[in-house]
Amino acid sequence: MAMQKWTTKHLTLCAVLTALALALSTLENLFPITLLIPLPGVKLGLANIVTLFALYYLGTGSAFAILIARCILGAVFAGNASALLFSLLGGVVAMVIMALLRRCRPLSVYGVSVAGAAGHNIGQICAAMITLGNTMVLGYLPFLLLVSLFSGALTGFVVALLFRAMEHVNLSRS
Amino acid sequence: MTTKYSPPELRPKKLDILVAVVVLVLAVVVAVGFYGPKLGQGEDTSVVISMGGEVVERIPMTSFPDGKKVLTHNGYTLELCLSYNDLPSSEGQLGVYVLSSDCPTQDCVHTGRISRVGQSIVCLPAQIVIHLEGASNDGAPDIVVG
Repeated sequence: MAMQKWTTKHLTLCAVLTALALALSTLENLFPITLLIPLPGVKLGLANIVTLFALYYLGTGSAFAILIARCILGAVFAGNASALLFSLLGGVVAMVIMALLRRCRPLSVYGVSVAGAAGHNIGQICAAMITLGNTMVLGYLPFLLLVSLFSGALTGFVVALLFRAMEHVNLSRS
Repeated sequence: MTTKYSPPELRPKKLDILVAVVVLVLAVVVAVGFYGPKLGQGEDTSVVISMGGEVVERIPMTSFPDGKKVLTHNGYTLELCLSYNDLPSSEGQLGVYVLSSDCPTQDCVHTGRISRVGQSIVCLPAQIVIHLEGASNDGAPDIVVG
């Protein structure tokens, strides 16, 4: 995507998407999926819907800005500084993978989403290894990767729905 | 703001299956790499006793003799004992400690009880090293949060 001018409208859209991502994270915490799958760290990754949407609709730069703002604000709201490293590493790895795979035309939004969800888990495990200073948490990764297949497909499905709806909406026209 | 954006392919494609397979293979590879090598080994922790730089004995913690084990080297005598951890958080965890020694420094006695893999008791005057070896709890995190 070409470089865009940071117009007020664009900035506002980014801000709204950041708020949406934060709201989705909070919503996710209200319905802990860990009750179904008893593994700490298992999440639906609903905030990834926003990242994926922003990546396609606004481009890599804006999506990255939304991601960083979401991680920092999320850590502030949660009052947890160590969570910042987890969400930042997970988010950035997912973002880089999705930004690269997006260019791969034979891939649909589902493939990009699953790869992003897997990348998110890999980033978080890396953060855990840095925080704990050992590699024992690596044993956790296979389970998280399996879950990411489903959560990634779900996120992809939601984004596909969103883009179908977007065919009838033009956010950039007033 | 430009109205041009490139919408993604919305229907699943064949290559998506490849992505899923890659993730699956990665999961299996990590699982095998992480859990595979452990399968052959027991969960036992072994007490490895070295004297003068050479391993003289390797005793699984669970078959450590009751009571004292007397180690003599370089003119000094150490009494090694087995004990259970009496802290409620790690009930039944085995450990060893040096009960007494006639060495001048007494560092081995002051080291106290060791129970985790990788820990060791060193007595320099006697040139005796007691080291815990095994795959059971090597560097395992005490707690995982988040």
